Amino acid sequence: MKILGIAGLIVGLIPIQSVLLPHVAVGGVMPDLGLIVVCVAGFWGGELEGLLVGLAVGWIMGLFSAIDLIVGISTKGLVGYLAGVVGRHVVYMTPVMLVLGLFAASCVSSLLTALMLALNEQQNVWWVLKTIVLPQAVFDGVVGGVFYWLAWNRLDIEWLVSKYRT
Amino acid sequence: MRMVTFRTSYKAKRLALALAVVLLLGFFLLPKQLQSVFQEVGSPIGWGVSWPLRAVSGIQGGVADFWSSYVALQGLQEENMELRKELEQLKGQHSQLHEAAAATERLTALLEFKEQEMFPMVAAQVIGRDTGNWYRAIILNKGESDGFRPHMGVVTPAGVVGRIVKTTAATSVVLLVTDPNNAIAGLVQRTRDEGIIEGTISGLAQLKYIPLLSTVRLGDRVVTSGLVEGFPRGLSIGTITRIYKSEGALFQFAELTPEVDAGLVEEVLVIQSPNLQTENEPSGTLKGKRKP
Repeated sequence: MKILGIAGLIVGLIPIQSVLLPHVAVGGVMPDLGLIVVCVAGFWGGELEGLLVGLAVGWIMGLFSAIDLIVGISTKGLVGYLAGVVGRHVVYMTPVMLVLGLFAASCVSSLLTALMLALNEQQNVWWVLKTIVLPQAVFDGVVGGVFYWLAWNRLDIEWLVSKYRT
Repeated sequence: MRMVTFRTSYKAKRLALALAVVLLLGFFLLPKQLQSVFQEVGSPIGWGVSWPLRAVSGIQGGVADFWSSYVALQGLQEENMELRKELEQLKGQHSQLHEAAAATERLTALLEFKEQEMFPMVAAQVIGRDTGNWYRAIILNKGESDGFRPHMGVVTPAGVVGRIVKTTAATSVVLLVTDPNNAIAGLVQRTRDEGIIEGTISGLAQLKYIPLLSTVRLGDRVVTSGLVEGFPRGLSIGTITRIYKSEGALFQFAELTPEVDAGLVEEVLVIQSPNLQTENEPSGTLKGKRKP
């Protein structure tokens, strides 16, 4: 059931990310919902779940992007794994912690991507940092925080987490 | 705030670590092979995911059509007047060009020039944009099952849009001509100077490696040179808006405004050129031959 839920979530992510989010892009940068899902899976489910969800999201999203599949798979997988490691040591998951965690995860993911992609000479490190890495990290943190805050206010988060783990 | 505790079993942790190491090793040792395996296996998955993608794209298109047809009609009369004036001018130009074309046809027949082969084109709809922030790319609603392959050129009647870089069974990803990682061979239509057209980080394109002695000037049109697979000669790419060169450089460069605004494009044509090289074939091997 849980696997089906995650699969449905991943499939649902693609149209949102590809069709709807470009309309809210600021300066050509939009939040990465896939990364947010991977981080949440890692935080809540641990290393293995973070890794597996990361690999799956990286793979499926890579099929609908010009990015090298391997880069997408490995960065999302690694971020999911790291989120799982961090999640084990984080006792209190507050919206602030989640926002900071997502910001850091997004920075790590984008920097790894920039390192692994053979980007054009026009796209140097500073350009990448100021036009993609930092704006996307801010976007990811804010969007993740808003989702968490909404879930916190509208839903029983502890029940959701316990359900997710079983 | 409430407490959420995180625990993972030791076994799961070891399994995750082993999986990560195996994949990492695989990616470093056999990157191309693994990439093609994931692409092949992902092709039917792409077909499955393309359904919700098409559905959401259809709804979004419907809403956009409603908006443009009924809500955003302000200034339509002025626009109509301007278009009528433009049409009158174009009618005049059309008759002149018609005469010129007829003359060219006669001369071509006299000189027995061979006509440039026109490749078949297949229409496709744009159903989405790249899922990441790293590339300027669009997603089409047709893929391998419709004969689309990587490296095929994508155009509209106005000009070049980009090139297919990835396909699944039912979708294709097109890297736009404005992406800095895209390169197409082009030439200045008036001077016949050849160069490489590359996207820029500002969302335009640039023509690189124009000879220093070239008489290229602002307003010159740039077209495909036909030297790169996927695009026949003469497809419009853009108009030169700036010319520049660095001190001591051996070439000059020109900035282009692309003919096609990729942000607004909804339908495209994919050029099904028969002489495309696939990744598995050694370079120089052609899948088919052009007609003589």
